[in-house]
Amino acid sequence: MISQEGFEPDVLGFLCNWCSYAGADLAGVSRFQYPPNVRIIRVMCSARVDPTIVLEAFIRGLDGVMVLGCHLGDCHYMTGNYYTEKRMKTTKNVLKSTGLSPDRLLIDWVSAAEGEHFAALVKDFTERIRKLGSLGNETHLELHQLKKRLVAAKEALAQEKLRWLVGREMELVDSANVFEEKVSQKEFDQLMLQIIEKEFSKRRILQSMQGEALSIREIAQRVGASPREVLRNVVSLEHEGLVLFVGVEGNSPKYRRAGG
Amino acid sequence: MEHRRIETPKIGVFICHCGINIGGVIKVPEVVQYAKKLPNVVYAEENLYTCSSEGLSKIKEGIQEHHLDRVIVASCTPRTHESLFRATCTEVGLNKYLFEMANIRDQCSWVHMKDPEAATEKAKDLVRMAVAKASLLHPQEETEIDVIPSALVVGGGIAGITTALCLANQGFSVYIVEKEAKMGGMLRYLHKLYPTMRNASEVLNQLVNEAKASKNIEILTSSVVKEVKGFIGNFEVAIQKGDEKTVNFEVGTIIVATGATDFEPVGMYGYKKFDNVITQLQLEQLLKKGRLQNLKRVVMIQCVGSRQEGRSYCSRICCMTALKNSKLIRESYPDANIHIFYRDLQTYGQEYEKYYREVQEKGVKFIKYLPEKPPEVSLGENGKLNVNVYHSLINKQIEISADLVVLSTPLIQHEDAKELSQKLKVPLGPSGFFLEAHVKLRPVDFATDGVFVCGSAHWPADVGESISQAYGAASRASIPMSLKRLHTEALNALVDEEICSGCGLCELTCPFAAIRIEETKKGRKAKVIAASCKGCGACGAGCPQMAISMQHFTDEQLLAQIAALAEVKS
Amino acid sequence: MKESGSVLVIGGGVAGIQAALDLADRGFRVYLVEETPSIGGRMAQLDKTFPTLDCSICILAPKMIECYRHPNITLLTYSEVEKVRGSAGNFTVEITRKPRFVDEAKCTGCGTCSQKCPIIVPNEFDMLLGDRKAIYMPLPQAVPRVTTIDKDSCLYFTRSVCKICQKLCQAEAVDFDQKPEKINLNVSAIIVATGFSLLNPSVINEYGYGRYKNVITSLELERLANASGPTGGHVTRPSDGKIPDKVAFIQCVGSRGLGRGVSYCSSACCMYATKEAILIKEHKPKSEVFIFYLDLRASGKGFQEFINRAKENWGVLYIRGRPGEIIEDPTTKDLIIFCEHTVRGEVRRLEVDMVVLCPAFIPRESNNKLSEKLRVKLDEYGFFKAEDASLVPVDSNIPGIFTCGCCQGPKDIPESVAQASGAAARAVEVITLTARREG
Repeated sequence: MISQEGFEPDVLGFLCNWCSYAGADLAGVSRFQYPPNVRIIRVMCSARVDPTIVLEAFIRGLDGVMVLGCHLGDCHYMTGNYYTEKRMKTTKNVLKSTGLSPDRLLIDWVSAAEGEHFAALVKDFTERIRKLGSLGNETHLELHQLKKRLVAAKEALAQEKLRWLVGREMELVDSANVFEEKVSQKEFDQLMLQIIEKEFSKRRILQSMQGEALSIREIAQRVGASPREVLRNVVSLEHEGLVLFVGVEGNSPKYRRAGG
Repeated sequence: MEHRRIETPKIGVFICHCGINIGGVIKVPEVVQYAKKLPNVVYAEENLYTCSSEGLSKIKEGIQEHHLDRVIVASCTPRTHESLFRATCTEVGLNKYLFEMANIRDQCSWVHMKDPEAATEKAKDLVRMAVAKASLLHPQEETEIDVIPSALVVGGGIAGITTALCLANQGFSVYIVEKEAKMGGMLRYLHKLYPTMRNASEVLNQLVNEAKASKNIEILTSSVVKEVKGFIGNFEVAIQKGDEKTVNFEVGTIIVATGATDFEPVGMYGYKKFDNVITQLQLEQLLKKGRLQNLKRVVMIQCVGSRQEGRSYCSRICCMTALKNSKLIRESYPDANIHIFYRDLQTYGQEYEKYYREVQEKGVKFIKYLPEKPPEVSLGENGKLNVNVYHSLINKQIEISADLVVLSTPLIQHEDAKELSQKLKVPLGPSGFFLEAHVKLRPVDFATDGVFVCGSAHWPADVGESISQAYGAASRASIPMSLKRLHTEALNALVDEEICSGCGLCELTCPFAAIRIEETKKGRKAKVIAASCKGCGACGAGCPQMAISMQHFTDEQLLAQIAALAEVKS
Repeated sequence: MKESGSVLVIGGGVAGIQAALDLADRGFRVYLVEETPSIGGRMAQLDKTFPTLDCSICILAPKMIECYRHPNITLLTYSEVEKVRGSAGNFTVEITRKPRFVDEAKCTGCGTCSQKCPIIVPNEFDMLLGDRKAIYMPLPQAVPRVTTIDKDSCLYFTRSVCKICQKLCQAEAVDFDQKPEKINLNVSAIIVATGFSLLNPSVINEYGYGRYKNVITSLELERLANASGPTGGHVTRPSDGKIPDKVAFIQCVGSRGLGRGVSYCSSACCMYATKEAILIKEHKPKSEVFIFYLDLRASGKGFQEFINRAKENWGVLYIRGRPGEIIEDPTTKDLIIFCEHTVRGEVRRLEVDMVVLCPAFIPRESNNKLSEKLRVKLDEYGFFKAEDASLVPVDSNIPGIFTCGCCQGPKDIPESVAQASGAAARAVEVITLTARREG
């Protein structure tokens, strides 16, 4: 990848109050210097960071997001950062489907004693984003096109099914006692990827339809997917009541968005 | 409830030089001028040290003269200074939740010392973000709940009685619920207590009598906890007393002091197969009743059923128990030959190590065995027991004959603990013992507020340790009860009932049992227990319906901060 | 709610902090006296804690700050108890505040003075492995966040020159004329939580501490392993700054000894050595770590499992036996340990890069004086003695005076914390009973 001349990334960091924010403070007290590209928002726990908020940062045009928490096992709220880990893993996968590098989202742990580690993280991450370039540079998409994809990604992350599954990951994968069946991590990750792809694709289809009645082929062209996949997702959207079948034109069934 | 917005906020921004710490890098006057132009900002000034008494007076004057309803201090870290500035706002009548900080020292001037330009620009961004958040801040009322000044102690052993007496002496009323017909728990079965060699029954009787005599203590024997509803301050408890009746009462706090039981080593080392293979607890009984006669050769085996596959933990108290009982045997039968087969002797601290040396001096022999080559017990032709063991020091298999083989078995959790843990909404740990809120710093608290633990219910503990913890639990429980009214920081999760589908994921996510699904007129809905909620936000960021927001860190506020940051760019 | 009655807590380590917070939350006025410039104690010096590997300062610092902010707690750091009179319910205590030559009320903790101070001396907080200035904050998370001038090294006090800190301090907090200040308090109960010291292991001459550069103590290792410590968290050999490949821990250095050192067991060493072994492995997974021990004392919650993990997941090697001698290779500064392996009954020779000694917990030197002032008994070793260790484990022989934590003898953190809460509860009992008697 060619680096963008003169590109200064804008990086946002969500830091938990108890460890990583304290680690950042310690970097200050110890005068560890790091690039001035990062701006920090303090939250009480990294688990406060909703995946849709991360997407919002990218929609707004920021180039990279860091979510930093206490080390696993050290969470002030006991289990919060385990949830952060699962949620951000999913968020990275969703980001990937938009065409952006998942590396633009960093999830890591910084203790209150790790000022130097924090400074190093900011340095490395800023460098990484600098190499990736701006959002448009990386995807070769017009900004408004990319923004539409990111909005679809954000909507996918707001989907009930996806969120529910993310929330149960630990239980489903780790403890066989609660449920009769135990799912392996690999199986779970695969299932998750399928659901992400599907949800993202569905949001893209809805975006593409606007007010018009369209055939499967037309939709497929607009979103750049195979007609087969589009058909499957349109049927699923029809079940959810988000898409209406409006009749057959020639040989092609036509659909439009419900409620508008 | 939180979405009322005050017409146009009037924000004041106080930018600190921190001596030269900020001012030496960041062009503070430039940031002040910048701040003045930001939306809703009606006043901005710079201070040499905003946290000095002079700086604090300036904030107060600013609030009064310019009718500020939001205050921002751009200085150091909220972790050390937020409470000071909040208190200053409160002094002149500004709700403390209308205060916001921008950290332009620890995260700006100190870490970009060589780039004053970039640091100044960053400081402006941080102030702009703080202004964006402050514009959306709401005054918050802290939740207050009444706390019933009485406690339920589950378990009438040494830990339960001690904690109850300690609370009763402080003037709180206490219910002790004991499932057996008699009070006393494990102590009823013990003979002497190490290292003082006091009679267990004397110690116990004295305490039980004190508890019975206390006008603040009500004892319910042959009783079990049937149901617990509510939360800290207001638990509704139903107790099943025998088969007859249910007793209902309300308490502010609950202390779990249910102790533990001993493991029965069926099928191990000839237990239940040979007559003279008994457990350490059975030996206590025989010693207590004086039923042992003519003891010549005794072998004790440590770690029977513990520190092995399936039960990996060390039960802490068994080594000292074995030492104590061998000392007692040697005192009654000076000729008795005693061998203790051990793995690692747990005689920690001053007194127990001294005790160990005394027992050694009394002629008790210690043989270390390897877990991979444990002793074997068999019945010899003479009717005597033979114990075979590999002696690692001399690299030889040796055989010792014995009249009595005593197995030191671990303390294990009671079978009904699981049920109690579910009723109280507190967890059990991997070894089956009750799991405290934090292994290091909250050893007698549960994560669920208002519920505490002490004694062997938490982990095998001897009498001294159980009593220390019992006092500890009493102290922790006394805090909310003495306050009578409990108020918590307004950092709670907020559920939008219109959107909530009652799926229960939040309940599963919350480690503090602070959000629960309840039946309402509108169906199953999540309810936040304000007194227990810690405001971490884990439930909200995972809610499938996105029905939960967080006070003081609302989605709206976070998004406004992001928008403010991105503003210059777009 | 405000309760009448107040308590003096002596010692600002984790036990003192816990006792103070419990009492203050309960509504009582608490005077927390600490002899050093900051509260935090031993726990603040630790890198991680066993068996969870929690970052120590991460969990302690919020409690330290809470003490500072608590409206019911008066923090008296850099202070000592001089005289105690009276009895349960009514003690009079005289306290001396040592001059720190910095006005606590004016200092904002900005640290400019330390930055510019020209005098560099070894930092006690870092076990002398790192540096501090003559005007300093002992640790970054110090509470209160104010600096202190060390009179013995300050240029002004030693040579009447400099005063640069005073010139630079825009808060005008530096005050070279500060004098010791006497404070008289009236309290209902007293809690002693003064903690412990570690034996200087040079008395166990054959291990070479003090003579061999690469023989260090476990507390020194904690500072080396700590990210804000003198080496930025890199465990390196003092002789050449190399990260060691082979490290041996020796347990019971001066503990459980008959003759030298002390005879008792120091309780926490098996576990913290295991933790430190894991930390070394975390930093450098290929390193070899050995622990020489007598009995593995792992009877606390999750301890045995922690040791199992150290063995199975991290490959820490436990060798039963007490090394007889250590010899240093004069050129490489490597160390050769001679030890009888008691399980196998053979003499072993082990060459390592670094040796970590786990020294005995010993009573603080100041215990004698303090116990006289309080008229409280010490045990035969010099620790504060409980009136009856098994029945009233936090009561001293003097009604109204309680003890908790390691000033009573070796203990781990949760035991100290539980006991500190326990001491607080007993103090409240005394206050309640006195009030009842008087009312």
